[in-house]
This record gives sequence, structure tokens and C-alpha cells, in this order.
Amino acid sequence: MNYKRFIVYQGAIGMASTMIFPFYILLINNVGNSYSQFGWAYGLFALTAAICYPFIGKLADKVGDKWLLGVYSWGMALTLLFFPLANEIWHVYILQVIMGVFGAVQRNSEKTVLARHVIKETAGKEIGKYHIWTSIAAAAAVIGTGYLVDFFTISSIFYIASAVFAWSGFIVMKKEKQFSGLPE
Amino acid sequence: MKRYFMLMAYVLIFAASLHYFTDQSAGPTVEDRSRLLPVKMKAVKAGDSPSDIQQIVRDANAAGDEIAIAGMQHSQGGHTEYPDGILLDMKPYNEILEFDAEKKTITVQSGATWGDIQEHINPSGLALKVSQSQNIFTVGGSISVNAHGLDIRNHGLIDTIESMRLLDATGTILELSADQNSELFKAAVGGYGLMGVILDVTLKLTDDALYQIESEQLRYDEYSDYFKEKIKNDQVKMHLARISISPESFLEEMYVMNYSEVAQQDLLTEPQKLKEETLIAVPKFFLGLARLNDEGKEAFWKTQKTYAESVDGKKISRNNVMRSDSEFMEYSHPKNTEVLQEYFVPVDNFEAYIDDLRKTLAEEESFNLLNITIRYVEENEKAVLSYAKEDMFSLVLLINQGTDSQSIEDTGRVIRNMIDVTLDHGGSYYLPYYGYPTKEQMAEAYPRTKEFFELKRKYDPKERFMNLFYEEYKQ
Ligand SMILES: Cc1cc2nc3c(=O)[nH]c(=O)nc-3n(C[C@H](O)[C@H](O)[C@H](O)COP(=O)(O)OP(=O)(O)OC[C@H]3O[C@@H](n4cnc5c(N)ncnc54)[C@H](O)[C@@H]3O)c2cc1C
Repeated sequence: MNYKRFIVYQGAIGMASTMIFPFYILLINNVGNSYSQFGWAYGLFALTAAICYPFIGKLADKVGDKWLLGVYSWGMALTLLFFPLANEIWHVYILQVIMGVFGAVQRNSEKTVLARHVIKETAGKEIGKYHIWTSIAAAAAVIGTGYLVDFFTISSIFYIASAVFAWSGFIVMKKEKQFSGLPE
Repeated sequence: MKRYFMLMAYVLIFAASLHYFTDQSAGPTVEDRSRLLPVKMKAVKAGDSPSDIQQIVRDANAAGDEIAIAGMQHSQGGHTEYPDGILLDMKPYNEILEFDAEKKTITVQSGATWGDIQEHINPSGLALKVSQSQNIFTVGGSISVNAHGLDIRNHGLIDTIESMRLLDATGTILELSADQNSELFKAAVGGYGLMGVILDVTLKLTDDALYQIESEQLRYDEYSDYFKEKIKNDQVKMHLARISISPESFLEEMYVMNYSEVAQQDLLTEPQKLKEETLIAVPKFFLGLARLNDEGKEAFWKTQKTYAESVDGKKISRNNVMRSDSEFMEYSHPKNTEVLQEYFVPVDNFEAYIDDLRKTLAEEESFNLLNITIRYVEENEKAVLSYAKEDMFSLVLLINQGTDSQSIEDTGRVIRNMIDVTLDHGGSYYLPYYGYPTKEQMAEAYPRTKEFFELKRKYDPKERFMNLFYEEYKQ
């Protein structure tokens, strides 16, 4: 995977994850019914991520970023398939914990790839460019999904996002000579 | 290679998830706007032609399914829901079929809203005779509750129906009017979807006109006399009042708004443009404050009075009066909801009634009452389920409550007490709202309750048309 493809990849998964996040409250509205439950769901997510970072950090240097990105993509793709089936608030809590783990994987790998790729002198410009594209993708996703929910159900959003993750996992796994998470 | 394997596995799991999901959600869950009664139904069906709807009824007959008819679902007591039944959604059945500006009549399919009709007839300088204060409701849903509004001159909604077509439980279409099949007509108007499906309706219209608003403040003990004097003036066509819910002037201060036809109608040389909802942020904000606490209620009452004063002397067309804002009332909260109640009390008993109501509510500190609007309904006993047993004032109460069972119980107790007070003063209450009242209270408020339910079974012996209201109150 070259750097360009990495940006496409980040854009895609950025889209898929921002797509589901704001609309998540609607799902909780269906299965639970209070803002405190909403708070807990997010809290669990953040907490699990915090616990996982140290391990993931070490793992990244051992197995490589690409491998972790693959785990993240496929993991999210599968996890999201369980959201439409959640009908109790504790289902959502469990899913949030799993998402917390994957979230930590993604955040860490995103940074390690960047760190290994960009050259110190032009780091500002490179990372700026990286953020432009991923932010645009995220914005487009949230706005677009706002319309989607009007037409489809919330559940379909999870299926669509899952498919995007699966596709991203598919491209990460594509054989590529140069890129293994180490500088090109 | 590995990635193709992953992809295959993913597709399999995807399919499995989808399969379970569609299984799980086979029956749509339906709830009305009050959000107090989510009900799992078998299916939602709709048709845009009489034959489609006929087919839905015939299929239900063959399968032995119950049908609950639904318009905009603003009724709040499960009137459009029945567990495991078919929800017949009338919204797509909303064409304007015929409009005769000369004869001042319009024929519409029953899923059309008052707003749809207004848009069609406003350019021809015509207006509805009777409708709710807002125009968001379907014609079928409004006829089925025998709705009333701000108009004080055109009698009941039932009087504005020239004729209508009703699809009965056997799938036959009948012609209904005051003269034709009149027994069924009087049961189906205010019939809560229990007699059959109202298909299309021919309504009598009136001229659009320019009104001048006159607003005044007064005390509740002056109101009956004030109104009786006012109504003698033929020019006054519409009327509305509000009574304070702020603790500082609770059920004492009032303001009224009268809409009088202005002398020079030529001012309305061309139809006034229909107004769209504007600036909902301001009323929404103050209503939000009223939900919070007593100070908020005082602030809300003050802005309402200021608003009433500010429109004094303004001119507005009849069509525009009959499309009041409603969007600012939309409320979404994970735990709470807003429900309506409406009580009717004879004009002469108003003062004593309010005194008793104040006493009943004195100790109910957690009862979150947000607004009371008062209107007038003329005696009209044509419909079997008539609420206007004599000339009455109607009080619409907006109440904020929780959706958990404890809140439902608490609110229910207060409401049943209020209904007892209302009945003691020779009053009645409105039926489209949540099923808080007891069966006995319904029988007392509506002396022909038993007859109504007997007619239901006469015209629909297999009880094909069902809803939670019938389930709860049938006798
Ligand atoms: C904010 C608000 C303000 C209101 N203001 C007023 C007011 O000013 N005056 C007033 O009188 N009422 C008022 N109401 C009550 C309102 O008029 C009723 O709830 C009315 O039934 C709503 O119409 P709908 O289209 O939502 O009907 P729905 O709630 O969908 O249906 C009401 C009943 O009609 C039956 N029904 C619907 N369509 C048909 C059909 N085609 N054939 C046979 N049966 C049918 C249903 O089975 C059900 O029993 C108000 C309600 C709300 C929520």
C-alpha cells in the first residue's frame, strides 16, 4: 500500500465511521431511553480504548501497521453487522467495548503510518494535506447520511458502513511490494 | 488469496445478519405522536385508489386480520393502532377529486390534509368552514373525531359534510350523508375509524374573508358574560382565549382574541398569500422555559400576553387564521413526551368550574401543565358521540409528562380527577387523547356510548376495524 492509497483508505474508513457516529443516538433511542445511557455507551468506548493503547502501541512495531489496519477494517465490518440486531441496551454496551478496542487500533495505526511516512521537514504540509482529504470525506459522509436516514432506516446505515469497512479491509490486504508500514 | 477468503466469509456473515434482522423486525412497530403506546403491528398497507383499499379490506377479511385506520396519527390513545393488526395508512390517498368554486364545494380523498385543501381553494377566494386550529390533520382523521376549531358561526364539522363515501367491513362502498344512510353517517362522524374507511368526502366551503384581530385581557370570572355579549355581534367570526398556568396568576388571568370581519372587504382584493411557519425559534424557546419551572411558566405567560397585545388591530385572512403554527410544539425528548387533554364545560358554569379545577390542581406539584387554550363549541348533538351537549367552552390542556409507567400512573390520576370535576359541572371530555379516563367516565360524558358500540357491531359484526381505543372502552 502506497501513501496515496493510504489516504484513500483513511478517507473511506473516516467516512464510514463518521457516518454512523452522529446517528448512533437514534439507535440508542430505540433500544434505551436516556441520555445517561448514551453517555455510558460513549464512556465505555473511550475507556476501553484507553486501556488498549499500550498494547497496541507495542504490537504495531512488531507486526506492522498494515496488519493492524486490516484487523481494524475487518473487525469494524463484522462488528457493525451486529448493531442492527441489538435490541437491549447491554448489547449496545458490549458492542461499544469492542468498538473501543478497534478504535484504539485505528487511531494508533493512523499516527504510526504518518510518523513513518512523512519526512520531518515537510511534515506540516503533508499532515495538513492528509487532514484536508480525510475531513472532506467525513463531512460528506455525515451530511449524506442525514439524507439517507430520511429514506432508509437507521439499521441500513450500519449495513452500508459495514460494507465500506469490508471494502477498505479488502484493499489494505492487497499485496504491495514496497509498503509494509516502513518508510518507502 | 487471503483477502478473497476474508471477503467470502464477510459476505456470508453479512447475509446472516440481514436474515436475522429482517426476521426480527418482521412486524413494524407503530406508535402515535404521543409516544406512549408503541405497538407491534403485522404490516403497514396503503393504497391510492378505492379499489386498492377495497382489496386490502378483502384480504384482511380472508386472512382474519384486524385493520386499524391511520391518518396523520396525531390522536394519542392508540386510535390508529392494534397489536398484530394491519395498519391502513390513508396518507397516500390524498387527491383533490373535484372543486366547484361556484357551488363552493370540494371533493377530496380522505388522506388529504386541511393544508392541501387550503392551497387548492385559497386562490379562488374560498375557505374551510370548520377545521382544527391547525391544518396538519387529514380530512378522514378529523371527521372521525368530529373536530372543532376557532370558528364560532358554522356549527359542527358534521354540518359541513355534504356527503361522503364509506368502505364498510364487507368491502362495499356506501354513500353517506345527513339524508342517506344517516344512522351510519352519524356514527362514522366521530366514529374513530370503527365503522369503516372514509374514502372521499364532499365538503361545503365558505368565502375567504379579511378579519381584524381584537385582543383583550380579563379575569376568568368575567369571561362567560364577556363572551355572551361578544357573540351577539355577528361580525365576530372566530374566537380564542388563554388562561394563565403561571403560579402567579394560576387560572385567573386570561386574554381573548376575537376575529371580526372588517367592513371594507375590498381590502382583500386578491387572496392573501397563505402564510408559512416563520420564526418558530421564539415560541419554542419560551415553551421550553415553561417546561422547566415556575419562573419559566411566568415568562411564557408574559410573552403570550405580549404577543396577543402586539397583534391587536392586525388584519388577517380567514384561511391564514385556520393554519396556526404547530411546528414549535414539536418536542423530542428521550424520556418525556407532551400530551393533550380537552374538556368541555357549559358556558354558564365556567367560573365555578375553574374554581374547582384550581382546587384540584393545587396540590399536584409535579403535574407539568404548560398551556390552556379555550375555544367555543356550539351545541350539536348530531353525531352519536357528541361532546357538545350544550353551548360550551372547550379547554385544551398541554401537559408534559414522562413515558415511564410511574409517570403514566401519576398523570392518569390527576387527569381522572380533572375529568370528575368536569363531569360535575355538566361537561364532557374529548376522546382522541390518551386512554386515561375510565369507562364509567366515558359513559357519563357520552350518554350514547353504549349505542355507539352497538352500532359498531351492527355495521362491523366481525370487528374487522379495530384499535386500542375500542379495545379499552367497548361495552
Ligand atoms: C397538536 C394537536 C392539536 C390539535 N388541535 C385540535 C383542535 O384544534 N381541534 C380538534 O378538534 N382536535 C384537535 N386535535 C386532535 C385532532 O383533531 C385528532 O387527533 C385528529 O384525529 C387528528 O387527525 P389525524 O389525521 O392525525 O388522524 P389519526 O390520528 O391518524 O386518526 C384519528 C382517528 O381517525 C380514524 N381515521 C383516520 N382516517 C380515517 C379514514 N380515512 N377513515 C376512517 N377512519 C379514519 C383513525 O382510525 C383514528 O381512530 C389536535 C391534536 C394535536 C396533536
